[in-house]
Amino acid sequence: MDATTRFFEEIDRREYEPRLAKTAGTMRVDLQEGPHTMHWFLRIDHGRISVSRENQEADTVIGTSPGLFEDIAAGREHGIAAVLRGDMTVAGDPRLFVQVERTFPGNPDARGPRRKFGQEVR
Amino acid sequence: MASTNTIRILDGNTFVVSEDTGDIEATPSEPTGLFSLDTRFLSKWVLTINGERLNALSFDDLQYYEARFFLVPGMATHYIDAKLSVIRERAVGGSFREQLVILNHDEKPVDLEIRIDAGSDFADLFQVKDEILNKKGEIYSEVEANCLRLGYRRGNFVRETSIVSSAPARYDRDGFAFSIHLEPNEQWNTRIDVETIAVGPGGRDLRLGVGTRNVERLALQHDLEKWIADAPKLNSQHEALAETYQRSLVDLAALRFSPLSLGGATLPAAGLPWFMTMFGRDSILTCLQTLPFTPALSKTTLRILASLQGTRFDDFRDEDPGRILHEMRYGETAAFEEQPHSPYYGSVDATPLFLILLDEYERWSGDVALVKELEQESRAALRWIDEYADLVGTGYIWYERRNTDTGLENQCWKDSWDSISYSDGKLPPFPRATCEVQGYAYDAKTRAARLAREFWGDPAYADQLEQEAAKLKERFNRDFWVEDGEYFALALDPDGRQCDVLSSNIGHLLWSGIVSHERAEKIAQHLVGPRLFSGWGVRTLAEGEIRYNPIGYHNGTIWPFDNSFIAWGLRRYGFPEEAAVIASGILDAATYFSGRLPEAFGGYQRDLTKFPVEYPTACSPQAWSTGTPLLLLRTMLGLEPHEGHLSVDPRLPVGMGRIEVLDIPGRWGRVDAFARGRLEVHNLVD
Repeated sequence: MDATTRFFEEIDRREYEPRLAKTAGTMRVDLQEGPHTMHWFLRIDHGRISVSRENQEADTVIGTSPGLFEDIAAGREHGIAAVLRGDMTVAGDPRLFVQVERTFPGNPDARGPRRKFGQEVR
Repeated sequence: MASTNTIRILDGNTFVVSEDTGDIEATPSEPTGLFSLDTRFLSKWVLTINGERLNALSFDDLQYYEARFFLVPGMATHYIDAKLSVIRERAVGGSFREQLVILNHDEKPVDLEIRIDAGSDFADLFQVKDEILNKKGEIYSEVEANCLRLGYRRGNFVRETSIVSSAPARYDRDGFAFSIHLEPNEQWNTRIDVETIAVGPGGRDLRLGVGTRNVERLALQHDLEKWIADAPKLNSQHEALAETYQRSLVDLAALRFSPLSLGGATLPAAGLPWFMTMFGRDSILTCLQTLPFTPALSKTTLRILASLQGTRFDDFRDEDPGRILHEMRYGETAAFEEQPHSPYYGSVDATPLFLILLDEYERWSGDVALVKELEQESRAALRWIDEYADLVGTGYIWYERRNTDTGLENQCWKDSWDSISYSDGKLPPFPRATCEVQGYAYDAKTRAARLAREFWGDPAYADQLEQEAAKLKERFNRDFWVEDGEYFALALDPDGRQCDVLSSNIGHLLWSGIVSHERAEKIAQHLVGPRLFSGWGVRTLAEGEIRYNPIGYHNGTIWPFDNSFIAWGLRRYGFPEEAAVIASGILDAATYFSGRLPEAFGGYQRDLTKFPVEYPTACSPQAWSTGTPLLLLRTMLGLEPHEGHLSVDPRLPVGMGRIEVLDIPGRWGRVDAFARGRLEVHNLVD
């Protein structure tokens, strides 16, 4: 399974995401490649999340390529930097995007903080 | 840094720095321009009439967001026989607008060729600041029928400046021109709109929906008037103090910054020109300083920083779960990850300071809802202190950057490369644990214990935090105490060896409450003693230390914000006279800067220079310098929330005369504080 599908299916399965506990609204992710656009639709109600593939109107609409989103969902690329670069667009309420972005995974190669004398902190 | 004859106007993170004629001619050493989103959108903006540059008769910076320039043709060295007057009036409010008026005073008609040369290098603020200029993208200039469009493109990253004149103009790639005919006593004018555009695919602006674009002048004026009206009134016999207070309120209004993603809520940006963005440390400390006067800033700052709290490990951004951000940037280098500020988390004090502000804010405002709203973030911040910041495993907050290319070496407020040293002048290895951060951690845990007990319904956690804080205090007073000097070391190295220099950081320790009671008096003596105290304020590093330099950025200069927290600490431990000495020194210094304290000034002895020497590249206005007079007022008046009331316990130096602060907002509604100067502070210093 690709990282994008895994990301959305996991948050759908978790049903509750504490990092979105203060967030409410709908967000659609449009992944466009040539003539095809794939949609993911998130309904967030104070931490409770449901995910579907519907192409519905949303408070926030994210647009990018499936390739870049795959890298973001896998932690290899950074969502906010991608928006600043113009490689990903945010239409509508940007707050929702910033909150959802916090739930993307970190880089799988990240070392994290390490104790000076051997053992890892993380 | 911009020299002193530059004129700066700003609104949020859009600002214009120009010469006193209004012209902009940026060079690496002259960082003038129109800036927005951490990008320079105009690096050239030069007005000529019949090919001649103009000469400034005078200028008014009317408000922080507008300025007016009175000009005549010809250069200053020539005899000025002006038959023409030129008035340039400009404002920023999302975009940049300039009204150009030309008056003919001659008895004869004139034909004029008016031209504005316009261009942009689209430099990232980091490139301007550090003088790196080799752009990886393509700069272009497009002439349209009614518009000149300057642009920069690197992949999908597109920034554009669009220039439109209300009077018909001839646009070319390097500017635009008008040919006009003026009869005697006739005048001509045009309005020029300069839009800064961050173009996303589909031509949409990144900032759409933020609600801060194109704020009209009138709206800015109303907003400023309301801001001033909402703040407490200060009546004082001490005229300079009243001026300083007013200046601080206006500058705080100017420094309010609305991050892109947060729907128009504002928090204090750090400073003009380099730091018009959110900084964890600077924003929080400014809020702590200004809480009695402008409490709304604290609520938004806490919310915004909480919403961007770290959630994962990211070595490039030095991000960990629970960590509060250091700095956010929107320019090209952040976008392409040449700099880590998207956002960058490399600060170790912002996280404990976040908790301190939340508690202090509740003590003033009684806003229990916010304390409950931010419980989860507070717990994550406390976890970060214990789990991820203790890099040596000795129970302290340490720092060592994981981003070794572009991350910060020193992640405390003294963040220059040479700010932390041993008394032999050598720099310690990493990780480092600076003393003031341990004080913040102690205070954060002590305050969080109150929040847990009173608002989160978790007395067991409160007990645990209090025990941890008590152990930290004990450990700290053992490990950091420099026996022969009788003060606390600036830092520990990873082997536990002390960086045994005498520094201003010991004042922050008083503020945090980590100093054991019997040692407080010794610390107070050092702070107003001759090695640290210059007569104006406390030096960052004491005279006599090998690295001491009166104009060393963190090695001898005096930072007003630092002094305001030191004064607060002195009062906390029962040294109101010493606090008043520092407060009156800094407030005296402010009078030399028309009430606007710079970021830092020289550590020279007061009777040597007679006036405070401004640090050459200091930012101004800078948020925590702007907040300094407000915290000093609080300190001198002894304003303290106490069981739902505001207690007032003034200790003012004699020269201050009578002070009234009216309508101090808080959980008590609004109350007044009165004080009269009775303290003879000079006896202490001599």
